Amino acid sequence: MSDHHLHEETGGTTSPYAARIRAIEALLLEKGVLTEPEVQDNISYMEARSPANGARLVARAWVDPDFKELLLSDGKAAASELGMDPEHPAEFIVVENTPELHNLIVCTLCSCYPRAILGRPPDWYKSFAYRSRAVREPRAVMREFGFEPPEGVEVIVHDSTADARYMVLPMRPPGTENLSEDELAELVTRDSLVGVNVPRL
Amino acid sequence: MTFEPGDRVRVLPSEKPGHVRTPAYLKGKTGWVESLIGAFPNPEEIAYGLSGRPERPLYKVCFRQTDLWDDYAGPAEDRLYADIYEHWLEPERGST
Amino acid sequence: MGGSPGGPIDKDQHEVEDWERLADAINSALGGRGLQTTDELRRSIESLEDYRNLSYYERWAAATEKLLIEKGVLSGDEIDERAAEIRRRWEGP
Repeated sequence: MSDHHLHEETGGTTSPYAARIRAIEALLLEKGVLTEPEVQDNISYMEARSPANGARLVARAWVDPDFKELLLSDGKAAASELGMDPEHPAEFIVVENTPELHNLIVCTLCSCYPRAILGRPPDWYKSFAYRSRAVREPRAVMREFGFEPPEGVEVIVHDSTADARYMVLPMRPPGTENLSEDELAELVTRDSLVGVNVPRL
Repeated sequence: MTFEPGDRVRVLPSEKPGHVRTPAYLKGKTGWVESLIGAFPNPEEIAYGLSGRPERPLYKVCFRQTDLWDDYAGPAEDRLYADIYEHWLEPERGST
Repeated sequence: MGGSPGGPIDKDQHEVEDWERLADAINSALGGRGLQTTDELRRSIESLEDYRNLSYYERWAAATEKLLIEKGVLSGDEIDERAAEIRRRWEGP
């Protein structure tokens, strides 16, 4: 078992489901349905994933046109090339923002998200408010995040209804010509990978 | 494959019970096929422990937001894409 | 859900709790073993009566439990019993 104090043990949770999932874990381990290393590996797998992966994919695409082409045609292959080991999504599809169009990602049915690349989605992405409103009033939603597409830009919403998981490739902000790839990656926020905002210098 | 990119399609207004991956807000709406994503086992059956085979074609379908929502607050060019299985689509009837 | 009325988007982020990480991991592990599919989990979540009142990971935990019972891997009674034991342990002497 983990050697730090679990939130539940120090009274840090009020959810009745905490004890139930611990019970389920204990029972599954006792019955040999799962093994402890397996559970730990799965915890570690998710902990190792974060929006920084998405930022690296974007920064590389900004500096390397061949990589960008790969990212847009075969997202999983591009992620693998950068060592991200994207086991799970059936498809990982990256959609490109252009001067003519801006993309926004949502999963109205259940909050699907490219977790194998970006880790856990933020709470707001999973909220009923986002899931309801993103498809119907994407511009109002983006405004709440402080972003208004320029005049004439079309907004395209992707509802991830099947097994493909989507991520946005934002446009490279102006004035960033002299930044290194690592510096570019730092500009890429998680919110810009979902499409509720854009990277800024 | 039944549908080609560019085909106008209508999402069936079916009230089929159980697990479906076609959102309610798209039922009965008309859009067009953007592309064939591929063929996959049917998630509606996998959800109940069945194999989901034979595989069903899955399409990326594009809709105009102004066709989905009467009160859409944005330009007519704004669009929505959803990934819809073939068995939820029929050719659009009549003219646009 | 899509298109339903909704209020302002709350941007607060709760700190992920260890039991939530565990709920996540158990689902992945069961999936990895072929004991549960994403589609089954989704179906189970959708069927929860308490859907609207549960948090995201509470829905996962409840749905996983339901599936394990449905598949005869665990029984509701043994989960109840063990959960009660665990709670007693946490609450201390």
